[in-house]
Amino acid sequence: MKLTSLTPDEQHKAFANSKKTEVLHRQNLPVSYHVEDHDVQDRPRRFLEAFAAILKHSNYRVALEHYVRVSAKCSRCTTHCQVYLATSDPRDVPCNRSELLLSVYRRHFTVSGLLRGRLTADAGLTDEHIKRMAEAFYTCTACRRCHFECPLGVDHALITHLARYILSEIGISPRALVVSVREQLIGASGNTSAIPVPALLDNLEFLSEDMKEEKGVPIPFPIDQEGAEFLFLPAVSDFLMEADTLMGNAAVFAATGDRWTVGTGYFDGINYGLFYNDQVLEKVLLKIKAEAERLKVKKILIGECGHASRSAKFFYPTFCGGKAALPVINILEYTWQRWKEGRIKLDPNIVTDKVTYHDPCNISRPGWIVEQPREVLKAFCQNYVEMTPNRRDNICCGGGGGTVSIDEIRPYRTIVAGRAKAEQIRATGAKYVVAPCANCKKQLRELVEDNNLNCEIVGLHDLIYKAIIFDKQG
Amino acid sequence: MQAWIDFGEGPLFRFSFVLMLLGLGRIFVLTLVNVAEAYRRSPDKILNYREIRHKTIAWLIPTSRLWRKRPVYSGISFLFHLGLILGPLFLTAHVNLWKLSVGFAWFTLPQGLANLLTLAAIIGALALFLMRVFYSPARALSRRQDYAWPLLLAIPFLTGYLMVNNTLTAGAYQAMMLVHLYTAAFIMLLIPFTKIAHCVLVPLSQLVTAVSWKFPAGTGARVLETLGLSERPTWVDKPRLDIAPVKLPDLIKVQSQKKEAKAS
Ligand code: SF4
Repeated sequence: MKLTSLTPDEQHKAFANSKKTEVLHRQNLPVSYHVEDHDVQDRPRRFLEAFAAILKHSNYRVALEHYVRVSAKCSRCTTHCQVYLATSDPRDVPCNRSELLLSVYRRHFTVSGLLRGRLTADAGLTDEHIKRMAEAFYTCTACRRCHFECPLGVDHALITHLARYILSEIGISPRALVVSVREQLIGASGNTSAIPVPALLDNLEFLSEDMKEEKGVPIPFPIDQEGAEFLFLPAVSDFLMEADTLMGNAAVFAATGDRWTVGTGYFDGINYGLFYNDQVLEKVLLKIKAEAERLKVKKILIGECGHASRSAKFFYPTFCGGKAALPVINILEYTWQRWKEGRIKLDPNIVTDKVTYHDPCNISRPGWIVEQPREVLKAFCQNYVEMTPNRRDNICCGGGGGTVSIDEIRPYRTIVAGRAKAEQIRATGAKYVVAPCANCKKQLRELVEDNNLNCEIVGLHDLIYKAIIFDKQG
Repeated sequence: MQAWIDFGEGPLFRFSFVLMLLGLGRIFVLTLVNVAEAYRRSPDKILNYREIRHKTIAWLIPTSRLWRKRPVYSGISFLFHLGLILGPLFLTAHVNLWKLSVGFAWFTLPQGLANLLTLAAIIGALALFLMRVFYSPARALSRRQDYAWPLLLAIPFLTGYLMVNNTLTAGAYQAMMLVHLYTAAFIMLLIPFTKIAHCVLVPLSQLVTAVSWKFPAGTGARVLETLGLSERPTWVDKPRLDIAPVKLPDLIKVQSQKKEAKAS
């Protein structure tokens, strides 16, 4: 894919730093996202200590040891990173970005590196290097697309994940993420959007009434149903911003009659731990587990959200009981299954505009949810087109890896990281872009706005809600 | 000079060859041990073996994947690797030497094909070197060893090719042989300690990555304990619990405003 290169004006806008000079000075960290004040003394030493501690207790060492041995610097990954495609800056080549961390590992945690330290004047990790890492690992959207293109099998997103984890242990992580997580783990509301339970209940009731009016059948949001089959956890922001998606979710359940429930003890699928800190990842999943146990549900059902789905699907077994852990499924899988069984009927004459589908990285890259939503869409959208590339090889929306929540880097996301995506969408000429992920939706809407694209971003269930047919008797 | 050649053909070759095998064997086994240990540490035992196998094979026998991006570069790289691996292994002259010293041998390639493969290795090495020099992202990535390797690897192939295909004077032949033997030995000694170790490690890459994404439970807490930060993990460094919760009426207003906007 060829992209037009950045104009100097765009370049300036995308990388402008909105911080006050005294903040930059105090934090000694010229990154474009906001960071809370942290101890700036001795950062290299503390970074290495954190690195060592993490290596000791985790499994990352296997990967690092292997990657420093095999990495051949072949430059093949240049064709695959949407950031590099936009900037053409060698620093954005995935392999180069990973080398930032691999070089620290090689220098401080391998025999040859230690020898080099003894024999040469190499002073080791510097504060400058930390600054570079802090910037570089948040320009990567952790989309894992480059992993497919590495002949040596290096997974750069794993390196990004680890680097962010280490950085967070010395206090360097985007304030936007940290604040949300704080509210989620120790705040009064217990969720990232700080929605109190009464507000949630009120909102759901309001939506229910609305749906009854529109569809003519009762479509409830079951609350705290003990023994239900599914515990439903969407990205909590859906409760505020994505009413249509939620109504679609509820409508599907009203049609199938399966027992599901929203738990007032915990109702947030969002897990920023996947983006920057393994302890957060674990703690959030344990909250889900506690709620699932309280309500004695049989399955965890994640709403339309890529990272929430991936963090639950692939890490719930890790932290919540291995093989015995409850199965995790995504609402797209669920809807697809029930639709195949003929329990959901969709009217093919409602959505007549051109529709295209954006694969959220976190669910499509592992090959988990790729064809299911397509099959459903093709069944009731008369005018369905694909983007290219698509499916597992799809390009990231540009807001992956939590960057979408960092509002101050919006210009970076919509000018640089989302550049390839904007081109892709433009080329389809679609009216509706279906993006079944809360993060993708937010990013794509901003992308559409900033790039003057002429389309609407919706979730899969938004369209399903429009087209679903109910037997009035049932 | 003959004495040097005899040394190169005999003890030096045996020494570097055995060291290479031991070195490669060591890192191969170590990687497997690490993988097993990591797997044991994680409570999550679900590995998608089909996917791992598929990806591994796709890169070991790159039939389709390789050509989709940068086909020229990929083609050169592919032929280069082919020549590099098959050439020395199945060359008649090499196999005969084995037969003389250890008593067994395997099939050999016809001389014409062996020549082609050798040429592919030589030309490929030069082309890859030039690509590194002139393709700017590759230049940005390259370390000193990355430039040195293709050139170094080309030497034994070039000398070998000249010896087989040219009538050289005895002196020139001996000189060639000397260079051939000693660079080959040098390369074999370096392989286990440099990026060329990927020749045995690549089949494990996908497995390593998959297992590394399996985390042990409780890592975060143990890390904080080790760092002496159990009492103040980063996410409570600066508690700010006084964020005003979203108010009820606001929420409903947002919803109905949205409705109105849509209706109009
Ligand atoms: S994970 Fe995505 S954003 Fe990060 S380097 Fe790879 S392709 Fe680029």
